[in-house]
Amino acid sequence: MKTSGSLVSDSTLAIDKKAQSQLKQMKNIDIIIGIPSYNNAKSIGRVIKAAELGLAKYFPQHKGLIFISEGGDVEETRNAVDVLSDKRYFESAFIARPKLQTEILVTKYQGLSGKGTALKAIFEAARLLRTKAGCMLDADLRSISPEWIELLISPVILKGFGFVAPYYSRYKYDGTITNMIAYPVTWSLYGRRVRQPIGGDFGFSIELVESLLKKDVWQTDIARFGIDIWMTTVAICENLKICQSFLGAKIHDEKDPGKDLSPMFKQVVGTILGLMEIYQEKWIKVKGSRPTAIFGFESEISPKPIHVDMHNLIGKFKEGELKYKAIWEKVLETENYQKLLEVGKLDDSHFELPVELWIKSLFDFAVAYKKQTEELDAKEIIEALVPIYYAMTASFVSKTQNLDCHQAEEIITQQCSVFEKLKPYLVNRWTSNG
Amino acid sequence: MKKKILIVDDEKNIRLLLKEELMDEGYDVITAGSGAIALKMISEEKPDLVTLDIKMPGEDGLTILRKIRETEYDLPVIICSAYSVFKSDFSAVAADHYVVKSSNFDELKNKIKEILSYET
Repeated sequence: MKTSGSLVSDSTLAIDKKAQSQLKQMKNIDIIIGIPSYNNAKSIGRVIKAAELGLAKYFPQHKGLIFISEGGDVEETRNAVDVLSDKRYFESAFIARPKLQTEILVTKYQGLSGKGTALKAIFEAARLLRTKAGCMLDADLRSISPEWIELLISPVILKGFGFVAPYYSRYKYDGTITNMIAYPVTWSLYGRRVRQPIGGDFGFSIELVESLLKKDVWQTDIARFGIDIWMTTVAICENLKICQSFLGAKIHDEKDPGKDLSPMFKQVVGTILGLMEIYQEKWIKVKGSRPTAIFGFESEISPKPIHVDMHNLIGKFKEGELKYKAIWEKVLETENYQKLLEVGKLDDSHFELPVELWIKSLFDFAVAYKKQTEELDAKEIIEALVPIYYAMTASFVSKTQNLDCHQAEEIITQQCSVFEKLKPYLVNRWTSNG
Repeated sequence: MKKKILIVDDEKNIRLLLKEELMDEGYDVITAGSGAIALKMISEEKPDLVTLDIKMPGEDGLTILRKIRETEYDLPVIICSAYSVFKSDFSAVAADHYVVKSSNFDELKNKIKEILSYET
């Protein structure tokens, strides 16, 4: 029989005493399914059902726990769980109903408000229970099926992988921060091609949990939207075996990148740039890039189109030029700065930010972020980068508006290769004293 | 020490031609005519890189690639196929590179050289 793991003092924990006590009563939990939630009572029922059915169907010999880490109204979420108590959905899902071995726990996490703290609570529960494996699922997923559980957990339990990143079929304009920054930076800097490095649904081993909980990052942006890219980067840099699982389409609330994504951009990109300093010894040495194993079955279901207001993006870039020109001049190499001002003069019908200029600008910002001075702090640097990201997104939309999702994916892959080719530019700037 | 390359292709003439080309480049070259033989050779011969055809009798190259990745996490694999259509198959992302076969082997030779120089 397994024994409960130990925990550090309560003040640093994201799970409260009551939840700790409930967890200590649980015996032999093999798999934990974590669902970070923030007032997702309306949508979380579907995710819980899929998780329960997935555990029953694919892991009948294992005991599971669904751990809901709530940042908002915990009573509403508990009510949503209570509605499922008759388990009637098991009758329609199985001809022979399997034995139900899953417990559900809803708790409000404590600490800095944000997704990262919600995940920390789940990791703490996994460590306390000493589970064999686990996975995280976003609480607002509409496209989840029980198969996701198998795809995220089996590589850990059966094949010894430490981190299972999701691989979604997404519309060409869904996930612009991923496509323009997180994916190409992970590819080119750390040399590992992980298509969704900030996907919210992933599988993990207990070794990864131990490694993550040791790090002192929980009072930073990582405790908010930075958590996903941080985990992927840690898994790569600490040489855990990584794979991807094809989960099909990810259907969630759509977001226009020009309207909704600014806070997320600042936290994700702030984390990416911060990690560059932490892992500089690692990425400076990396030459080339390696693919990542992939499991699953590709479905032909097309993701739902997302409308992007390209003119709004261009407008925001031009507004940003007026507001941040002085910072751009300080941060960018002179040639890049001059070229960026020329881009600002283009009308909407001819608008294009050349990909090389985007990459060099991003690399210039990374160097400035590392050097941060009293005159120019991290917040100002990231804010000044947002309009250039809008320009790149507008440029990508313009280039791919007549292409299907596969063709647009080719363009993204080509851009990643350009990031890789221009890496020496970053290394030179990063390591020079100027 | 010479780098060892495993060529996996069901067409004997292509195996021979490619073997000659790569030996001229200074590599140690071994060949396999099917995926099943390739998997055995990977485990026994420990090649430094594999070139893998897709359309083969028995298990196809993409299935073999998935099996390779389950055990040989970091073994470089270049898909070398007459068909470009499989490039958009999601399974192909687990390969280091995708080369469409042609009578000119320069792209393949350059990619092999590049991948074997990586430090990741």
